[in-house]
Amino acid sequence: MEYLSTNKIAIIDLATSKITDRELDEDLVKGKIGGAGITMALYEEYQNEDPIVLGTGLLTGTLAPASALGMITAKSPLTGKVGHAPLTLYAGLELKYSGFDYVVIKGKSPKPVYLWIHDGVADISDAKEIWGKDVWASTDTIRELMGDSLIQVFAIGKAGESESDFAQVCINYWASGDRWGFGKLFGEKKLKLVALRGMSLLEVADAEGFVKQCKELLSAVKGGAFADKKGIEEIPVAIGEEDIREWLCPLVHRHQSCFNTPYPTNTFVFLDEDPKLLMESEKKEPGFLITDVYGLLGFKKLGLSAADACALLRECAKYGIDAVAVAELGQKAGKKKPDEIKKSFSGLKGTLENIGKGMFSPWCPHFGLPANEWERRQAVAYIFGIHPIFALMSPELSEEKLIELANLGTGLGFTSEILDKVIADISK
Amino acid sequence: MACEMACGYHRDDGFALLSACIMVTRGREKKDYSAVVLKEEENIVIARPEGLEIRRIGAVGEEAGADQSKGDASAKPLLLREPCDLCSDREEGPLCLQFCPVNAISMD
Repeated sequence: MEYLSTNKIAIIDLATSKITDRELDEDLVKGKIGGAGITMALYEEYQNEDPIVLGTGLLTGTLAPASALGMITAKSPLTGKVGHAPLTLYAGLELKYSGFDYVVIKGKSPKPVYLWIHDGVADISDAKEIWGKDVWASTDTIRELMGDSLIQVFAIGKAGESESDFAQVCINYWASGDRWGFGKLFGEKKLKLVALRGMSLLEVADAEGFVKQCKELLSAVKGGAFADKKGIEEIPVAIGEEDIREWLCPLVHRHQSCFNTPYPTNTFVFLDEDPKLLMESEKKEPGFLITDVYGLLGFKKLGLSAADACALLRECAKYGIDAVAVAELGQKAGKKKPDEIKKSFSGLKGTLENIGKGMFSPWCPHFGLPANEWERRQAVAYIFGIHPIFALMSPELSEEKLIELANLGTGLGFTSEILDKVIADISK
Repeated sequence: MACEMACGYHRDDGFALLSACIMVTRGREKKDYSAVVLKEEENIVIARPEGLEIRRIGAVGEEAGADQSKGDASAKPLLLREPCDLCSDREEGPLCLQFCPVNAISMD
């Protein structure tokens, strides 16, 4: 695959420590486009070896608006079905530029390990220095060890190590859209984390045509309905949780976008620092980046203050556990105090009602869309690598426009019929 | 980051970050502190939350050498990159301005 690709798939066998790579076959791209289309095909190819597949969309890491998305595809311990979890912030970008479009992780390691994937090279390393550490300490350790603070990390904490059903794969220090318990799969494989960094170059078939189209799309989406709004609190407002703005605002330091995404869907709150501070805080860990709307809402519904709710979100991310599960099971058990909720992390058990029923993580709100329309829009986002929330916010990023962009980028001649078939394949 | 990608495209006719002369420093992730840094012919322009600063390139090198703990790992290569030419071969001006998704960049 010549364009919009680093043309490599890594196959990593943790049982034997054997790493092989293979080319990303152009025929596979012609038939499956990219993203979830290909992670699903790889999952099926290796399904007897219980794989975890990391991947990026066809347009991930380009100038296409909101092209931030990477993904994990695996069988969910919670549902028993294959699901896709979003990798946002800068994680999808870094995966794309690491030198591999896709990474298949199969087998179980006999001892704790981590993967270091960079510049077209993948290594399995001993994780004895980080096994037992929480997500924050693990990310810090890897970045210090490699001497690069921009390394992106998918890590598990103690929840994953103890194989909790609600263990989450976190991104750097923050919660991810893994609502499928993929952290448990990492733990079962004794895989503590995946560290990514890359400086690859993606070539483009019709470079000027692609960039011109990206610019036109960006202009169109910037004039969209979200233009005067920002931050995570607008998302619950849009789904009827209007009082969240007043509740959260006193803590808000800044809103943050994922790579090349015109709407900042993340909000950083200061918990141990004045939120109005502009200078660099002298405190090492003054706050938390909220990336998960439903985790925040879950703790709010327990009657917690915004400060207590955000502090608990931070503790969940350090422990590597899904805050939505903690909040829902905490509510069922009548827990209302932060300390008793935190104590419930270890050994958390129960049945969740708010669980995804389709292929795509319920981390992304429906915004009132019927389930089938939401699923189709998510499928499009996961195939092309568009931020899943932004894909719902921006009808300007239509299927036709994305296909046109994919064709300019690759010269492969995708059609709406091919897209329909890929969506049907991954929705089976 | 989109500004880096746009600048990288201007340099390489493909998508890459390494050759961009504009860079978003993200190394203080836990502190929610970042800056945009631009390499000019003789200066480094640093746009921080608290304001704009322009430094001579030599002075930046000396400071980075004196206190490496303050520099991001990827900050050093910026000094080796081509200086900003304001995308002089493009009629519509700098690509970083055109592609910043959150309108954070402007030009006087």
